[in-house]
Amino acid sequence: MSADTTAKGLPPHAASGSGVVWDGIVGNPALEVRDVNVHYGPNHAIQHVSLDVAETAVTAFIGPSGCGKSTLLRTFNRMNDEIVGCRTDGSIRWKGIDILSREVDPVPLRRKVGMVFQKPNPFPKSIFDNIAYGLRIGGMRDRNELERRVTESIKDAALWDEVKDRLGDSAMSLSGGQQQRLCIARTLAIEPDIILMDEPCSALDPIATGKIEDLIFELKRDYTVVIVTHNMQQAARVSDFTGFFYLGKLIEFGKTDVIFENPRHELTERYITGRFG
Amino acid sequence: MPMGREKFDSEMALLHNDLTKMGNLATQMLSKSVEAFKRLDMGLVGWVDSKKNELAELDHAIEKRALEMITLYQPMASDMRMLGTALKLNTYLYRIGRYGKDIARDAAALQGQSHISKVVMIPHMMDLVVGMVNDALKAFETGDLSGLKDLAERDDEVDQLWESVFRECLTYMMEDQRKITPSLHYIMVARNLERVGDQACKMAEKIHYMVTGEHVEIK
Repeated sequence: MSADTTAKGLPPHAASGSGVVWDGIVGNPALEVRDVNVHYGPNHAIQHVSLDVAETAVTAFIGPSGCGKSTLLRTFNRMNDEIVGCRTDGSIRWKGIDILSREVDPVPLRRKVGMVFQKPNPFPKSIFDNIAYGLRIGGMRDRNELERRVTESIKDAALWDEVKDRLGDSAMSLSGGQQQRLCIARTLAIEPDIILMDEPCSALDPIATGKIEDLIFELKRDYTVVIVTHNMQQAARVSDFTGFFYLGKLIEFGKTDVIFENPRHELTERYITGRFG
Repeated sequence: MPMGREKFDSEMALLHNDLTKMGNLATQMLSKSVEAFKRLDMGLVGWVDSKKNELAELDHAIEKRALEMITLYQPMASDMRMLGTALKLNTYLYRIGRYGKDIARDAAALQGQSHISKVVMIPHMMDLVVGMVNDALKAFETGDLSGLKDLAERDDEVDQLWESVFRECLTYMMEDQRKITPSLHYIMVARNLERVGDQACKMAEKIHYMVTGEHVEIK
């Protein structure tokens, strides 16, 4: 594919030689990722990635293991800062701020850019206290307000009917799928703008996976969601935009139906049809 | 479709094989029915009629195999387009075979009579539309669209022949009311062949989508 066709619709940063296939997104971007590089020591894990994450939509990152999709996801709330030897450059603009800037404190950033991990990780506390934990750390003391926010978050995470009579029980007594929805409720409680999900269903059975997927569909009405998944059918089902990564590079980015019906890059075609990966 | 690529490819080859069989059967039913009509050969009428169950069985088998592949492998991109196209082609080919059966029925209706005119244009229409269907099937097999470039022009020719048959039959019917029944059968046969030309164009459109991912309208 020629550079001219692959660069169609790219912002100047990306058009300057990344060669990625990108038509751009519709609507306002919640995140503007420009020329981002991540190094783990000598390993150049993310190479000159530029893309927009659409607001109140679901963006999926797919690609074979080690392609850098989770690494990129973790740059969105600076989780890579915790990894020794990891360096990130480029810019990621959120509400006009470059979140990669040293002046940005990652702790409040993570309250606005929440994260749900591969394996459910509830605290060894009650269901109620799991949700209330972040609110209390944030300084909320009003018992009524605390109860209201906990209840709302559990309802928004489609868990209420299953736990409303046992909010005092240990979160560890919940099933895997319920624990994962509890973790999503915990993220929602602190009212983030963006929710990052790193393989949120890979440890769950198909029924629990279906519930999480339904929940993601509901969440995008109010939140921007970015999901990393190995399950391409899941990406096709839940996302509005999809980025395909290979060896640290963004190969193709665009509307999900286009990526899965008629991808324009040979590598994307080969990956999603199971010819490699 | 992250797993089972080799198995998927081998099942796809079987599906292609079945579609080739379906294509051969449908075009044979069509050409033999026209031959039966031309010669008013009731033996050939019987042969075409005897193939209708085989056509239906192949239709079911292809649909079953394609749906199973979609369920088991959840194909995407070119794989999904190919399976979607196979399902559509199957429907078009089944229809073409059934047109053959309908033409054979027109031939049977004229049993014991002689033609009111030499049957020339109808076999020519049949040659044209069978050629169009075969070229579409070849493009499906090879992914090479070059044989489909002039399909719209070929279908225009088929349409013109159909209009000629229609006009000619009108004159027979106006001249002599005893020719109304055979003329109506000619019109029906030509109409069915004209429809086969349209089906071939629809097949070509789907094959174009399968190969390029872009929808086009040939006719």
